[in-house]
Amino acid sequence: MRVIIFTWEFPPRIVGPLAYYVNKLAVELIKKSVDTYVVTYHSSWVGSHQGADGIKAYRISDAVRPQINILTWMLSLNQEAERVAADIYYSVKHEVNLIDVHDWHFIPAAVTLKRALGIPFVFSVDSIEPHRSRNSSAPLSLSIRSIESFGVSEAMRAIVKSEWMRQELKHYYNAPEDMIETVSPESEAWIDGILATYEKGPRVFVS
Amino acid sequence: MLSWEFPPRTVGGIAAHLFYLSRELVKLGVDTYIVTCDFPGAPEREVVNGAHVVRVDSYKTPSPDFATWDSLMNVNMQKETATVISNLGRQVDIIHAHDWLVANAALGLKHVFRIPLVATIHSTEIGRRNGLHTDYERMIHQTENWLAHESWRIICCSRYMSDHVKWAYGLPQDRVRIIPNGVDASVYEKAFDRAEFRRKFALSEEKIVLYVGRLVYEKGVQTLVSAIPKILSRVNAKFVVVGDGGMKETLIRQVANMRLTHKTVFTGFLDEESLRKLYQVAEVCVVPSLYEPFGITALEAMAAKTPLVVSNTGGLSEIVEHDKTGTKVYAGNVDSVAWGITRILLDPGYASWIKLNAYQKALEVYDWAKIAKETKEFYERVLKEYDSGSWKPT
Repeated sequence: MRVIIFTWEFPPRIVGPLAYYVNKLAVELIKKSVDTYVVTYHSSWVGSHQGADGIKAYRISDAVRPQINILTWMLSLNQEAERVAADIYYSVKHEVNLIDVHDWHFIPAAVTLKRALGIPFVFSVDSIEPHRSRNSSAPLSLSIRSIESFGVSEAMRAIVKSEWMRQELKHYYNAPEDMIETVSPESEAWIDGILATYEKGPRVFVS
Repeated sequence: MLSWEFPPRTVGGIAAHLFYLSRELVKLGVDTYIVTCDFPGAPEREVVNGAHVVRVDSYKTPSPDFATWDSLMNVNMQKETATVISNLGRQVDIIHAHDWLVANAALGLKHVFRIPLVATIHSTEIGRRNGLHTDYERMIHQTENWLAHESWRIICCSRYMSDHVKWAYGLPQDRVRIIPNGVDASVYEKAFDRAEFRRKFALSEEKIVLYVGRLVYEKGVQTLVSAIPKILSRVNAKFVVVGDGGMKETLIRQVANMRLTHKTVFTGFLDEESLRKLYQVAEVCVVPSLYEPFGITALEAMAAKTPLVVSNTGGLSEIVEHDKTGTKVYAGNVDSVAWGITRILLDPGYASWIKLNAYQKALEVYDWAKIAKETKEFYERVLKEYDSGSWKPT
């Protein structure tokens, strides 16, 4: 199995706990023989790098500077994420099974790659905008919400870390019950739970 | 082709450009798809003169500002275009972007599908703003720069724009190809009651001086308004100003202060039909721009056989040859603008000479069929290079 992980933070770029979580995820996936690529952002440390742990990290940077807000910044970075993901795709003879997107930042890229190259994606939810912004109705915040909603409607599955977040995802984005998988990072079966979700494939609709 | 405007959604000149270009490309056997923003009442999908038009949700959730809205609109545009290309079995040879407004969508699609990207740069932020003063403007400039560098080759509509774009983004000479804008002269051939139509705007003894364009500083309309008293001291005229913009109130006040309200008409935005007629009844059309990448208004006047006065700047300098296809005046110079207009109004022989020369030039040089042929050749050259390279997926 070959997976590309999209995350806006990854060591050495650490914004919050997500960087450590994704790093651990990549290490554990490799132990389970998953060919793992991480596409992430760094302001200056750019290019591909394979460490002793086997993670193939691709760091993209800003094609456009300056930016006026986090949205214009992220949405222009998405094109670079697409470029790098497509380069991986073409270099491995089109055999990419899945993209795992962490939080909203690279959702648009994942959607385009799904529609264009048929690579499904999993939306891994660490936090959501209504919580981060304390339910702000400022246009910027609403726009980020719309991207999270977009992620829920286009993703094959959503992975949350707690039952509470499952309820929140249903509440804010009408996520269908059967698309959400709760996989606690604390649990012993954590990586097996992640892998099982990856392998589940798209939901089947029965009318 | 990706564009943020296509008729009936018309904001600037790109909509008309795409309308005619796609119509003629289709005639040359180019299977053309246009992905653009939605518009109230316009269908999501339709075929216009043989070109497939796909209108995408242009993002209606409130966004903080225009540029942020544009980024969000590009998310939808990219998603829908990816679907269109997939449904065509990826049998798309060229992605053609028009201006920075679709840069994000076009850039991502280029890499994901590995289809060569070309761009027409109709105008630039550094030109529109006469410099870069804020992070907002710098961001747009850098987005244009990114699009320019990621494009296989670029089309500019005039030598002026080509030089400007090469300077603004540091592009090599061979990356830019000049293919002019066009004009459809046949739309000015319809018969109508001229005297009757003319009466709506002017008395029969008044010569009509026509301005068409947005009422913004860069278009130089304030120069024309300041020249009104000087012109009226020599010849009886009515000044018809078509278009809207931020300067409208200021200009109307300026005219009132000069006690010349009765000599001017501010029509606001005018429908196409009336505008075409207005060109034909006007004695002179003035394009007094301070910045003008191309000057589509000048082309329209030429095709409508309206004598032209243009400022000697940008694309206008190339379209008009002084004393042959129009009168050139100094940009921003009130005396010069007044002189140019007065000269045409007082010398019917001269006016007739330049307008017929201009009409001939419009037919020969700015013909959309010819422009589409050059555009197709441009595509073919890019494809040939692409086919012989290693970037193309196997």
